[in-house]
Amino acid sequence: MKKYSREWSVAAAFGLLMLSLLIVAPHFFHWQPLLSRVTSQMPAMVVALGVALVIISRQIDISIGAQFSMCAVIAGLVAASGLPLGVAILAAIACGALMGALNGLLVAYLGLPSIVVTLATMVTWQEALRLWQQGRLLNLPEGIQWFGQSQAQGQAIVIGATALLLILLSWLMKNIAAGRAIYAVGSDAEAARLAGINPQRTTFGVFVSMGVLAALAAVMNLVQSPQIQPSCGDGMELKAIAAAVVGGIAIRGGRGTLWGVLPGLLLLANVNPALTHFHQPPYWEKAIQGLVIILAVVADGWNQKKQSKNG
Amino acid sequence: MSQSTNQPKWTALLAKHETVLLAVILVEILLFQNLGRNFLAESNVSNIFRHSVEIGLLALVMTPVILTGGIDLSLGSMMGLCAVVFGLLVKQFDVSPWLAAVAAISLGAFGGMGNAFLITRMNLPPLIVTLGTFSLFRGLAEALTKGSEAYSGFPQGFLNLGNANVLGLPAQLWVFFFITLLVWVLVHRTVWGRSLQAIGFAPQGARYAGISVGRNTGMAYVLAGAIAGLAAVILVARLGEARANIGIGYELLAITAVVLGGTSIFGGSGSISGTLLGYVAIAILNNGLSRITAHQIFDQPVSSVARELSGMLTGLLLLLALAAGVLLKSLATRRARRQSLITTTNPTPST
Amino acid sequence: MKTIPRVLPLFLTCIAAVSMVGCKSQTSSGGGEKLTIGLLPKSKGNQYFVTCEKGARLAAADLGAELLFDGPTNTDPAKQNEIVENWISLGVDVIAAACENKDGISTALKKAQQAGIKVVTYDADAQPDARSFFVNQATEQGIGDQLMDTAAALTGGEGEFAIITATLTAANTNEWIKYIKERQAAKYPNMKLVEVKPCDDQKDKAQQETTNLLSAYPNLKAVIAVCSPGVPGAAEAVKQAGKAGQVKVLGLGLPSENKAYVKEGVTQAVVLWKVEDLGYLTVQVAAAVAQGKLQAGATEFDAGKLGKLEIQGDNVLLGKPFVFTKENIDQFDF
Repeated sequence: MKKYSREWSVAAAFGLLMLSLLIVAPHFFHWQPLLSRVTSQMPAMVVALGVALVIISRQIDISIGAQFSMCAVIAGLVAASGLPLGVAILAAIACGALMGALNGLLVAYLGLPSIVVTLATMVTWQEALRLWQQGRLLNLPEGIQWFGQSQAQGQAIVIGATALLLILLSWLMKNIAAGRAIYAVGSDAEAARLAGINPQRTTFGVFVSMGVLAALAAVMNLVQSPQIQPSCGDGMELKAIAAAVVGGIAIRGGRGTLWGVLPGLLLLANVNPALTHFHQPPYWEKAIQGLVIILAVVADGWNQKKQSKNG
Repeated sequence: MSQSTNQPKWTALLAKHETVLLAVILVEILLFQNLGRNFLAESNVSNIFRHSVEIGLLALVMTPVILTGGIDLSLGSMMGLCAVVFGLLVKQFDVSPWLAAVAAISLGAFGGMGNAFLITRMNLPPLIVTLGTFSLFRGLAEALTKGSEAYSGFPQGFLNLGNANVLGLPAQLWVFFFITLLVWVLVHRTVWGRSLQAIGFAPQGARYAGISVGRNTGMAYVLAGAIAGLAAVILVARLGEARANIGIGYELLAITAVVLGGTSIFGGSGSISGTLLGYVAIAILNNGLSRITAHQIFDQPVSSVARELSGMLTGLLLLLALAAGVLLKSLATRRARRQSLITTTNPTPST
Repeated sequence: MKTIPRVLPLFLTCIAAVSMVGCKSQTSSGGGEKLTIGLLPKSKGNQYFVTCEKGARLAAADLGAELLFDGPTNTDPAKQNEIVENWISLGVDVIAAACENKDGISTALKKAQQAGIKVVTYDADAQPDARSFFVNQATEQGIGDQLMDTAAALTGGEGEFAIITATLTAANTNEWIKYIKERQAAKYPNMKLVEVKPCDDQKDKAQQETTNLLSAYPNLKAVIAVCSPGVPGAAEAVKQAGKAGQVKVLGLGLPSENKAYVKEGVTQAVVLWKVEDLGYLTVQVAAAVAQGKLQAGATEFDAGKLGKLEIQGDNVLLGKPFVFTKENIDQFDF
């Protein structure tokens, strides 16, 4: 039985895009711009991994953009005060975990709908940050960018860390009980409970992980330039959710692999660079991204119909 | 639901979401009247509604959508698209504004039909479908205007819709009243409206009960699209300008109003009056904070950071409302359980 | 469910009651002896207007006036109008507006004038009949010309260049871009504008866009950023591409946000005026207009600590924009 074919069709679409770029605009593949481009997408990739976890457990989190910004600013402020980068990273992780825990508490233990809870926390964090920072660009001290290493080394660390996270998380999802519990809770919480899984603890854990991943992503963004902008996470939630969904994570929970997120994100993130390299005007970007998302879900719907007919 | 009839009347009223919201609104009014400058001046009361009617309209039609257990994230983008097409028709093709308004509303309905088709016929999740059209509609609006063109210079007669007073109230408020009545009748007084609650409560059950789930759900999205088109026209009339970024973020404000109004995001229960109160609470909060000029918060005058504060407070209010709802419910079920325990142990003779 | 029909009329009476109480309390408005000035930025939440506000507060303290500062926090084009209309009913004496959207906001500013409120503009002008004076730090044309001339001087007047803008829909930046294009067509026929890219006022997006531009147009000679987060974003991209100095970076921005890149030689020129002075002057002009001290036809204005400034027509001139370069950027601390 052929199961999750979606990753492959998205990967194929992405491959096709890359192929046409190779023919029309070979400059796209020059080593340096390619490396910068990939590195700058890594924070979004890490966030999208977290969102994938959340969606697999049949929840949603739209506060991640605000969490990302908040963690970035906290880390930035700690770093700017002269403390070492390690402390800044820990502070960001603590902050992310706390925000995730709040979402998790409200969703898992009070049984509130995640979309509304995270809508509320999104607005709250976002506006609190605006109130606090008034949008000032924060200059970071030297030695923060690229973890104090050279540019190439720094980029390698960021890409390597993301790859490691992807491998680690997808291995954990398959091979440890907690990972499988997420799938179980996502496909049927009641059945999972009867099977001895604690759905509340699982959901809570997923939201905390989301917060920690948002913090890690914020750190990966922080080290890419000598400044941090308090609005750096604006719109991140839509980008990450779209990447997860296009990558084959079923919004109704319980289905999809973390590996699918990678081609999903790459496809969506490369619409804009492709337009630039084809020398096309930028104002088609949103329309094309919208179409990609719709096509992906329509393809999903079609497959499901076929499968249910065959089965 | 049935247990609540056993409770004393005043607690039932107290537990009603609408009552709590009314109290919130009254507290807001009292607070802003005392702290704010000219908060209750007639011109400001007009402002409160003039500036928020579009969000109110979206919230009204978002209610039936959420009642079915769905959601529509594309409404703000739909406003952008309808506004641009409206401007294009009037300025490039010399169509009369009123005819163009009809066209914009039809376009909205048509876009809503697109959403409805994908959601009901293809059986796709509303959140993702409308996330896609959220991008698509805004993208089309930007592409149509090459991202940068805007249309202005509409005839005064049309601009009056957004700026003049009729019988002492802002002109667009009358449109809002009419739509409120329309949506209220549709949701609470028609078979269609009742079927929506059934669908949201249990779609499979509704189907067995002979309800055409697909068509009835789809209608909610079409209605939402059409009214988004109307909201776009009203906003263009108020600003005197049509551009692609109109309505940005309005869908989230509308959803906030609906949920604050007590409609369950899972569908099945909710009311138009709750939505109205939720919307008014947000609108007053937004306006009122910007009129507190004499007090400071974090070394800034409240009026200077009113937008951030009202956003934050709306978020917190939403959380509080949700948590209070859960708390009341669990209290009610506990009481009901105790009562049913009593009734089962010593059954009272029926009269 | 049965209570719904009862709540609806309740809600309507609520509105009616509010309106009626409103009519009565309106008479208590305006009793202020203190001059109230509403200062409207194009958007809140960026360093530029934060600095502007600082200067404005200074002037307000000097004059003993009350200053209200409020602006949009996102790109919603309706927000500026709403703030102006709120100020009208609040009863301010004078409004000073930086207009994001010339045609849109003029509707609201004219309403203010009809209500007897004086209106001046600063930073970006409205339609001339919607205000009495414009505090002119640089016209749209002046900014466009300055940027284009600087770009041409840096590249020797030839080659391809690209523009990073805030959003494609932002009316004000589109005006600047229009004049950049006109200037290029008129004076620098050997230069070519290849692309205008939006960065949504996001530094990170500006960086990604510039990275793409650099590889899509290998012959690119200069990047002009017309929004302040765009300048450091573009600079970081050029630096990462190892093209510092080869591809010139310039734009409108604050010295503090660009100092590092300018010193490294990645960013060649940042164009701006003394923002704090702009805020200071605006409040001075607004107060003078409100008190009738400054009237149409004046040719000179005494702007407190800034001394006497020239008035051309209905424009109060702050002075020419600065070009911050490696040599002088250390002298500025905003």
